[in-house]
Amino acid sequence: MSVLLRANILADFAFYRRSRLLLAFAVLCLLLTGLSSLPAIFSDSGVQSFRSLQGIFSELNGMLLFLAGAIGLFVISSHLRSRCLKMVFTKPCPPSVWLGSAFLSAVFISLFLNSAILGGTVILSLIWHLPVRAALVFVSADNFIVSIGIIAYMMLLATLLHPALAVTFILIFNAEMFYDFQVWAQGAIRAGNSSFYLRLLERLFHFFYLLLPMVNPYGKETENVHSSMRVAHAEWKYIVYSFGYVLTLSAFCYFLALFALQKKRHI
Amino acid sequence: MIIADDVRVEFRRGLLRGKVRALNGLSLEVRDGDFFALVGQNGAGKSTAMYCFLGLMKPTSGKVEVMGKVPELGSPLNEGVAYLPEEPHYHLYLTVEEATRYYASLYGKRVSDKAIHDALDRLGLAQFKTLPLSKCSKGMKQKVGIAQCLIHDTQLLFLDEPTRGLDPLIVREFRETLREIHRRGATIVMNTHVLSEIEMLANRVAILDGGKVIAQDELRNFLTTDRELYTVTFEANGSVPEYLGSVERSGELVMGSIPKDRLYDFMEFTRASGLDVHECALKKTSLEDSFFKILKGSGSGA
Repeated sequence: MSVLLRANILADFAFYRRSRLLLAFAVLCLLLTGLSSLPAIFSDSGVQSFRSLQGIFSELNGMLLFLAGAIGLFVISSHLRSRCLKMVFTKPCPPSVWLGSAFLSAVFISLFLNSAILGGTVILSLIWHLPVRAALVFVSADNFIVSIGIIAYMMLLATLLHPALAVTFILIFNAEMFYDFQVWAQGAIRAGNSSFYLRLLERLFHFFYLLLPMVNPYGKETENVHSSMRVAHAEWKYIVYSFGYVLTLSAFCYFLALFALQKKRHI
Repeated sequence: MIIADDVRVEFRRGLLRGKVRALNGLSLEVRDGDFFALVGQNGAGKSTAMYCFLGLMKPTSGKVEVMGKVPELGSPLNEGVAYLPEEPHYHLYLTVEEATRYYASLYGKRVSDKAIHDALDRLGLAQFKTLPLSKCSKGMKQKVGIAQCLIHDTQLLFLDEPTRGLDPLIVREFRETLREIHRRGATIVMNTHVLSEIEMLANRVAILDGGKVIAQDELRNFLTTDRELYTVTFEANGSVPEYLGSVERSGELVMGSIPKDRLYDFMEFTRASGLDVHECALKKTSLEDSFFKILKGSGSGA
């Protein structure tokens, strides 16, 4: 089992290494970091430097979540579409191991990039004589956990749908959007519109909100940490809660994707 | 080694989800140590049968057993199995060395660098080990597929149209490697359109038509000798004897067949005319002749 996992993970690393997507991401990161640091380089103000650092950190973390989704999507869809999995499944390597390896490899990449972004931010803090805040670690850990959920969800969608449809699906059908719809419907009902269809619609939005996975289940609770870059001791518990949620979500997505993978004809 | 009993495979395909019946009661047996060839027209069900043996497709009904077990995706049964697909659907982003190592590692055992390098050396791939598979020819990709059989002790090798699109030199090398793998004791199941290749390699043949086996026998029983007819090739200077049948001309050479009781007449004719006889032998039925005869007998349009 360990040999199979290692072999598949190494092959996936080669896939990421030769992927132009990752290369483009790296170039974009460097470009963005360079452009965002310009004001801080020419400024003596500590506040200005802090704002720049926060901006760079948050932009890179945001981009990393997009990349995590792309990695999860492409590692599955490109293997499925190139039909090379028949070379894997005709050997004593079951789909469960291959899928698990693909997930782990994507998580490792996300961990590596999160660490690189955190490391880079710490270095910038030191260069600009800013205090290295514990919130940086908190935000990085939170971002990493969110990326795990995104990877698992995109992998599931990639086994079920064409990659273009998977992207469309996640952009249109996400829990946050249905939450906003539900809030809007509730507002309309409170304002006096008691139409049966509106109530039905509100229930439907609520149902989809519960059904679809959330990208960041404790986003509201941790919002303050992200904006102020200060973390209270009590707020670390949300990292543990998020991790628990993401593990459950990942397990659910994994087994559903495995079921779909086993049903597919790999010929 | 492989038993297929009344295997039927149906699936839906296309926008209108039209029903396709790929196998229609296929039954065959591959014995331990066989070099077994599946022959048939396009769409006869050769590849589908192979997919069922590999566990890549599940039969709608019927029974498939490989080494006494039902084949499934990634099953431990595949420890002794290797497969070379018709189209080189390999991991194109890997280099020759990485792909060889990867495919060999998928058997769940650690593979030493020496074993990888030895296999690459033997197949003439050592100098291309850093070349990505996406830039390799089909022949090189097939060699990467073969390398796993040399690294592990393959008991059962499936080949789907292995020499299609390969140049004659590589085909010859490939045949030698297959013979060696077979000599080591592996059972080989090959699906090909090249009947001459089957004559050179296989010991048992199954002819498929319409998703089922219409003939299955030892190869030698398909290659019979007609003891009543001779095939002759001789130089002709104009006229040919009237008892010469199936006449074909190629430059100054004439090829044809003569009944056994006219053999001495033919010898007298060539001696009297001073003609050189290039070949004179009892007529052999090739696999191609048997194939077409059997297909015709089964009512196929061939």
